Amino acid sequence: MLTSSVKSTAEIMAWPPIIWSKNPNWENVTNLFTQYPANLWIYNSFIVAIAVTILTVFLCTLAGYAFAKYDFKGKKKLFIFMVATAMIPFPIIMIPLYVLVGRMGMNDTLLGLIIPFVAPAIGIFMMRQFITSVPDELIQAARADGAGEFRIFWQIVVPLVWPGIATLSIITYVNSWNSFLWPLIILRDDLNYTIPLGMTEVFALSVGQEPQYGQAMAFATLTTIPIIFIFSFVQKYYIAGLSAGAVKG
Amino acid sequence: MTALTNKRRFRSEKIAPYFFISPFYIIFTIFFLLPTIASFVLAFYKWKGVKAPKPRGWGNYEYLFFKDQNFWEIFQNTIFYSAGSVFITIPLALLLALALNNQSLKLKPFWRLVFFSPIVTSVVAAALTFKMILNSEFGLLNYAISFIGIEPINWVESSSTSKWSVMMLVVWRWTGLTCIYFLAGLQFIDRTLYEAAKIDGATAWHQFWYVTLPQLAPVTLFVCIIVSIGSFQIFEDVFVMYSGNDVPTHAKSMVVYIMERGFQQLKLGFGSSIGVFMFVCILAISLFQFRSFASNLDQDAKKSFIERFLSPIIDFIANIFPIESGNSNKKSLSPIFGKLSLNISITIIGLITLIP
Repeated sequence: MLTSSVKSTAEIMAWPPIIWSKNPNWENVTNLFTQYPANLWIYNSFIVAIAVTILTVFLCTLAGYAFAKYDFKGKKKLFIFMVATAMIPFPIIMIPLYVLVGRMGMNDTLLGLIIPFVAPAIGIFMMRQFITSVPDELIQAARADGAGEFRIFWQIVVPLVWPGIATLSIITYVNSWNSFLWPLIILRDDLNYTIPLGMTEVFALSVGQEPQYGQAMAFATLTTIPIIFIFSFVQKYYIAGLSAGAVKG
Repeated sequence: MTALTNKRRFRSEKIAPYFFISPFYIIFTIFFLLPTIASFVLAFYKWKGVKAPKPRGWGNYEYLFFKDQNFWEIFQNTIFYSAGSVFITIPLALLLALALNNQSLKLKPFWRLVFFSPIVTSVVAAALTFKMILNSEFGLLNYAISFIGIEPINWVESSSTSKWSVMMLVVWRWTGLTCIYFLAGLQFIDRTLYEAAKIDGATAWHQFWYVTLPQLAPVTLFVCIIVSIGSFQIFEDVFVMYSGNDVPTHAKSMVVYIMERGFQQLKLGFGSSIGVFMFVCILAISLFQFRSFASNLDQDAKKSFIERFLSPIIDFIANIFPIESGNSNKKSLSPIFGKLSLNISITIIGLITLIP
């Protein structure tokens, strides 16, 4: 369905509809960068998504490791409590979160898009699941060799759960890249916009002008391609991860 | 000397996990737990965000339930979106999964693209595309129905079809994903059950009804909960399709209403009360579904609600990532995706559960 609107031009308005444009109108793409700050939008989205991904994966893997391989007081309660809260829908927290983020001075900043989303309950759950299958003997052996706790985590556990890390990364990245509701709430200045918000601006959702179908579609296509690219990249990556992870405990 | 290092190591082993979980829990508490609690509290206040909040008791809820002209219509819309997507998406996806559960299927890359494109495409892009397809003057859908002699319909604007326009988008977004779950579920059914059924003389229909469906019950429950909760919270679909700020009441969903009241009119307390009500609805829906499905589920497994709810995910992950051993008797998730994209399917599973 999306493919039919890839090369949309002014001919969109034609009746009967034209599926493939005879003379592709590349101005749709170039206009994005001359009339709108599309390069900034892409840059913003990229920064936010990368930051969210790195932080999420690091925090979740670290905590997931603690839950999977250590015994400590209150472990079970903390874990169950955290997973149970995964049911709470975002719309419930968005108003207080908006106030909170505003008080912290992160309104209309990219930081406000990053920080609240780096600790998803389900991420910790996933990573714990992955790390549980790392053999205990490896960790014990490293400990016997005198490795510190963090070093065990960083040099033994992380390399073994690469597939899990890659999985969580791609999920987090795609989610952040495509998120719309929260950026819509806290961003005001259109130089701070992320791609989905920019797309609605190109489409002239807020202003009463003629909708720019072609340009919006060009932008949509342009920004979906990287995601598909990342998907196929990670797909290859997984094979390496799988064979590398096949360690005999 | 060794005793000393051993002792120190023993201590670091005790303390380390707290260091490992604290960064997560600090952020989790500040940006998730506190706002959640604040929302429940704020729902009892009148607050414009500038002056101190004024206590209002149950006033917000009273207004919401008894005085608000629009709320019940919006609530009905939301129920419609949610129920509609469950009743359309799930049978459709099950049919697709049964049809695609076939080793000799052709055009695998094509099907893969069909299933994954709704998941990687942003809702905004999808909604804009649908807005064009459904356009009354030059949309593809009106062009298609003109061949069977139907007059052009103003899909998005007209009050009788507006909800269905949104529904088409919702169904498009959820069917591929749901289908992947079902395909995965089909792979986990024990083949011997079918052989036993054949020996007993069961027809294809009987096999489907007495073997496939009961065996798929946990997956179906999971999918039902995911789809109904997800579509209960729809926002982008409606918001983008109706050009943002002036969504007609007959198409509004509850999250759109929270946006309008909470952020555009800055009724922060009132907005919170809608959010809390929504949470109660979601909880009720999932508990109801769990209850009505529970009789179909394996009674021996006395697991807690959460464990059962999440057990399909655990199974997937445990089966698909053979980290601890090299044995390769893992079941392939589905013939169409092959081994390579198993991991992608997992991604998708996570993807949906991560959607806030």
